[in-house]
Amino acid sequence: MEGATTAPLGMRQPRRRKLDLLPYFFLAPIASLLILVSFYPAAYAVWLGLTDATLLKIGKENFIGLGNVVRMMNDRIFLESLWRTLRWDLAVVILEFAIALPIALFLNLDFRGRGFVRAVILIPYIIPPAVTALVWVFMFDGNFGVVNEVLLQLGFIDSYLSWLSEPISSFWIIVFAMVWAGQPLLAIIILAVLQTIPRDLYEAANVDGASQLRKFWHITLPHIMPTLLFLFLVRMIWMSNHIDMIFVMTRGGPGFSNYTEAVYSFTLTTQFEIGYASAVAVALGLVLLTGAAFYVRHLARSVLT
Amino acid sequence: MKQRSLASRILPRIWIGLAALFIVVYSTAPFVWMVIASITPEEVVGQGELWSSARKVQLFPSNPSLINYHALFDNVPFGLYFRNSAIIATGTMVLSLFVASLGGYAFARFRFAGRQPLLVAMLMAYLVPSVVLLVPLLVIFRNYGLINTHLGMIFAESSLAAPFVLLLMINFYASLPRELEEAAQIDGCSRLSALFRIVLPLALPGLVAGGLIAFIISWNNFLFAYLFTSTDNVKTLPVLMRLFALGEPAIWGVSTAGAVISTLPVALLFFAFQRMMINGLAAGAVKG
Repeated sequence: MEGATTAPLGMRQPRRRKLDLLPYFFLAPIASLLILVSFYPAAYAVWLGLTDATLLKIGKENFIGLGNVVRMMNDRIFLESLWRTLRWDLAVVILEFAIALPIALFLNLDFRGRGFVRAVILIPYIIPPAVTALVWVFMFDGNFGVVNEVLLQLGFIDSYLSWLSEPISSFWIIVFAMVWAGQPLLAIIILAVLQTIPRDLYEAANVDGASQLRKFWHITLPHIMPTLLFLFLVRMIWMSNHIDMIFVMTRGGPGFSNYTEAVYSFTLTTQFEIGYASAVAVALGLVLLTGAAFYVRHLARSVLT
Repeated sequence: MKQRSLASRILPRIWIGLAALFIVVYSTAPFVWMVIASITPEEVVGQGELWSSARKVQLFPSNPSLINYHALFDNVPFGLYFRNSAIIATGTMVLSLFVASLGGYAFARFRFAGRQPLLVAMLMAYLVPSVVLLVPLLVIFRNYGLINTHLGMIFAESSLAAPFVLLLMINFYASLPRELEEAAQIDGCSRLSALFRIVLPLALPGLVAGGLIAFIISWNNFLFAYLFTSTDNVKTLPVLMRLFALGEPAIWGVSTAGAVISTLPVALLFFAFQRMMINGLAAGAVKG
């Protein structure tokens, strides 16, 4: 060890240079993967969005600049989907929080079997989304659905309802399916944060005779608010990107009534209109970019400190 | 201290029990229905093209049987789809673990130029709308012959899983004390071999959680599987589930049987490793 400090300066140089390159070697595999499968394609998508490419015309596409943007501005489906994406995001995320928060608070209590319940609540999250979509479609089927049967027997309805063929009811059923599947993750994360709140704060409040509501408002809420806001932003972004549940359940139908922007771009892709599909997708991406950048910078900073 | 009455001692317990019951039922009801439907035999009426299911709506079958499971394997190349899902999910797990354990170590243990921007960039990959990637990946995969290949699917799905596992591993490495690696270096170990011989064995819980999460992300993935495969040789279970949801075949028993089997692997893996995974999920999304 002494040798290192008394050695001539020239001797130390090579070792430090070698150390400097090492992290980059460690990063090379994941960087290569993400460049090849995420960044380069994203750049290519921006390029494609400026062309009128279709899957049949690859290599022969024409550069049309902002022609796709003009098309978007005149496209009723595009404009309606923008609005619906927002409604979808808000509906899903607000409902998710409305369910996840009480569940997390409940699981924060100490009771026998808590570990079991905590594991069980994650079942909706673990089930493959395609399976969840299938089950919900079957349950709400207009002719044989178990939901119809139960509601009928309980006297809530007079005859079977065709849940998924009406715009409004199908929207809410897809929302409920998504909420059911997505809320466990929120609950687990909120629970993790709840468990970092020091117990003595509550004990001190108890000594002062504080009610449950006051304890929640003054102790619990301030501690979890940053996480809640953070999660809200993240879920809004994820839901804007989401396609699976909507597509598998109704293909965006009936008609176009359940199209979100992401679903629209996806449908365009399956119809081979890849230039326009890319433009729509990139437009969506740009709208989400500001929120995403904020989230990612915050996350990176918190991880790297 | 006042002696609390019997009611005030039992009542909270009853509330808690009811709440727990409600939550459990809410979380499992659709799944339970799915299992019940899978063991409900259905009569098929009509012949050939005109057959339809004479499905009776019942809350529990009067004659439960496993006939749907037999029909599933007889009429649908289910085993093939299962195999594809298994291959691709395992490949995704291995690739994601490899890139993320190396990359995560770099972020956790080194300070180098571009450290924060690079991590930001990698996490952005996680938030780029998959819609944006669908079209170019479709074109790129076609050009390089990666459509309908297991390898192509593994690459695509690893790009989804890797950022998540990366975050998880960074958090995990950060929680390990540096002294062990430093001691190894004093003894003449290179950093690479210190990583493999000392750090990774200690990081095993993180690796297990990360690997399982990557496996599940891949197993459950629908979008890429749907777009990048067109032959039964490579199609995965979620694609089949979608076909079932469309009503082909129109026999719910068979469809739900397929759904049950599709869910079992991830459900079992999750329950076996739940503690590790719950910690991993919470840590990966928000720093704990």
